[in-house]
Amino acid sequence: MEVLSTIFNVALIVATIRTTAPILLVALGGSFTTKAGIFNIGLEGQMLIAAFFAVLGSIWTGSSLGGMVIGVAAALVFALVFAVLVISFRANEVVVGLALNILAGGMTISLMKAIFGTRGSIVGRGIVGLPKVQIPGARDILGPYTQLISGYTPLIYVAFIAVPVLILIYGRTRLGLYIRVVGEKPEAAEALGISIAKVRYTAALLCGLLAGLAGAHMSLGYITMFTENMSSGRGFMAVAILIFSGGDPWRVLAGCLLFGFADALSLRLQTFGFPSYLVLAVPYTVALTALFALSWKARPKLIRETIETMQRALSVHPAKSETPDTSSNRS
Amino acid sequence: MTFAVELKGITKRFGAFTANSGIDLAVRQGEIHAIIGENGAGKTTLMNVLFGLLQPDEGTISVNGKPMAIDSPAVAINEGLGMVHQHFKLVPSLTVADNIFLGMEIRRRGLIDRAAQVERTRALSQKFGLKVDAQERVAGLSVGIEQRIEILKVLARNARTIILDEPTAVLTPQESRDLFQTLRSFVDDGMTVIFISHHLEEVMAVSDTITVLRDGRVVATRPKQELTKRELVRLMVGRDVSFDRRPRHIVQGESVLEIEDLWARDDRRLAALKSATFSVRAGEIVGIAGVAGNGQTELAEVLSGLREASHGSAKLHGKELVGCTPAEIRDLGLAHVPGDRLARGVDRNAALSTNILMGRQKKAPFAKNGIINWTVVQDEMRALIKRFDIRARGPRDVARSLSGGNIQKVVLAREFTAGGDMLLIDQPSRGVDIGAQEAIHDEIMRQRAEGRAILLISTQLDELKALADRIIVMFEGRIMGVVDGNTMDEDAIGLMMAGVDPSDVKEDE
Repeated sequence: MEVLSTIFNVALIVATIRTTAPILLVALGGSFTTKAGIFNIGLEGQMLIAAFFAVLGSIWTGSSLGGMVIGVAAALVFALVFAVLVISFRANEVVVGLALNILAGGMTISLMKAIFGTRGSIVGRGIVGLPKVQIPGARDILGPYTQLISGYTPLIYVAFIAVPVLILIYGRTRLGLYIRVVGEKPEAAEALGISIAKVRYTAALLCGLLAGLAGAHMSLGYITMFTENMSSGRGFMAVAILIFSGGDPWRVLAGCLLFGFADALSLRLQTFGFPSYLVLAVPYTVALTALFALSWKARPKLIRETIETMQRALSVHPAKSETPDTSSNRS
Repeated sequence: MTFAVELKGITKRFGAFTANSGIDLAVRQGEIHAIIGENGAGKTTLMNVLFGLLQPDEGTISVNGKPMAIDSPAVAINEGLGMVHQHFKLVPSLTVADNIFLGMEIRRRGLIDRAAQVERTRALSQKFGLKVDAQERVAGLSVGIEQRIEILKVLARNARTIILDEPTAVLTPQESRDLFQTLRSFVDDGMTVIFISHHLEEVMAVSDTITVLRDGRVVATRPKQELTKRELVRLMVGRDVSFDRRPRHIVQGESVLEIEDLWARDDRRLAALKSATFSVRAGEIVGIAGVAGNGQTELAEVLSGLREASHGSAKLHGKELVGCTPAEIRDLGLAHVPGDRLARGVDRNAALSTNILMGRQKKAPFAKNGIINWTVVQDEMRALIKRFDIRARGPRDVARSLSGGNIQKVVLAREFTAGGDMLLIDQPSRGVDIGAQEAIHDEIMRQRAEGRAILLISTQLDELKALADRIIVMFEGRIMGVVDGNTMDEDAIGLMMAGVDPSDVKEDE
């Protein structure tokens, strides 16, 4: 019990919030493209490139804000390339997304070599991290629980505030409505003279914006450094969460919290001497298992039918004259 | 005289194919103008040109006497044109009001003002007598109501000229009549209606002026009074076609298919077929009438083994079909012409000979020792192309290169030569031209004369009227009544299709 209470405490919740933020930001970005009917597998690359350029920008400008802006700009460039190829040239979304992910991985490595002459990671060298926001007066009211709401980097607040903002956008604004319509029934949009391309471009760029913020948060937030492939699959987790949530902001939040919690938990477990390679797999395992369990009922027809057929093939063949399931169907 | 819409010399080409060739069309204000023609005659292309969805290669368009280039639907809407598409373009997850105001949302301080939209929807609905619930989600509404929403959508944009593309394809006869009444009231208000159809009767019933298109050209534009149905068909098809009830000898064969208390569920696991009981005799055509989606598909799927029955029995020559696989049912002698020919009838990307082979790939003379003899298959396909008058270059043609009517003929050719004595035919002439339809009907009558038992599912009453010996009417999965084909009363069937019990009707009178 003592072990459990040391694992589960306020610090764990704080850690959960901190680990949830980057994936929440990138997943909310992906929510725009998902709702607009674009399957954006390129989140990972947008995040990674933003993380790198945020570091670079913060060194160049000497300010964390400058770093963030340059990081976001880099992500927007990637989002724009994705949009041009997918929306205007109708290239396959998965191919383009994967290509950009690979490009982001390779580009950051070679730029790192070219600019800093090193491989692996950039630390120090004048990187300015994002400041922590202390909410005034919070300590007086909450006492020991102050850290629950105060002392995070600004992007964490942005991430969580973005959830209700997105709900407002989808529910009450014209842009949100159009994004939904373009994704759900493009022919309806076309017939009403709504430009599908314009709406999709907007969605793709909004996605780039949030993915860029997520990337900047990764490299300028709690750790001020860039390492090779530092997004470490968060973009793909976001894609998984988006598939299961359909881009609905509340569900995206729930999925991200789950992943963030598992991530925070695994960091905790590491300090208890569990083998690190197993512990590092925990967030992904937990999140995937939960998502799979949630969607089991909604599993695609194909899988369902395959399983039913397999069951039928494996069981004894029923007699021909038997009428299946007679009692329950009279309505 | 100003014309609400005037098209002059409109030509539209798609590659080497000319969909519209030098079309002149003048629609007077305050009339219902029908545009009739077979599939591929260019009706929809023409309307898309008028509505700005397509750009003409040649020709000019004037709206209310003003020549203009309509280069997007937005321009057309601005000019007071409104289009109700054949396939509704509603967003299922949005409410009725949201759908109506989509693209012209009422906003207050940047946010969409839901209450005002609902208010306006109610006002419109009342003003034009089109009943809808403004706050309901569109998902799950009936097609009749969806169409009302589409019309309201057009009216909300202040349209004065309304274009309807095949509006009655999905409606019951009663719903169609309501629609026509609504259209008539629009015209009485001084609005103009352009109405696209290939359905002769309703064109004759509702329109003031009729324009006939054939092969992308205008064949005639005349006031309705100067046209008869027969003439109209001749103009459409280019030759005489008969729609009369087919002459027949009464045959009282033995009962081939016996269905008793048959139940089935649809994909949502809801009861879709409820306690169906009937039989089909040899040499008899039993028609199943009903608006699409009232259990006919499920009935066909259960009988062909594509769907599990939840209760009841269906016996072919005394052998139980329920619980058998499609292949076993075929072997018992049931041939199935599926309702959706592209999903279940053919493999679009396969050659005709491959398509004709399906289902008999293990049988002599097509296969020996598990190896297919393609020469035999090709010869068979060549023979069938001739016999069924399939317009294809040869057995190697890919199915998708054929027109809908010809694909249907391929399916019929395969099923009618399968050797079964029970034919289950689902929507034989859906999307098929009148000319081809006649040939298909001839072939069905030939099968009847050969003593086959035929179960004919159709949403077109005309077709059942021409072919069926008995007509069973279905509504929400139940059999509402059985009508003799010789003495059928279309109104009575229409009421049953709408769910009115025939005995109730008699009491009312």
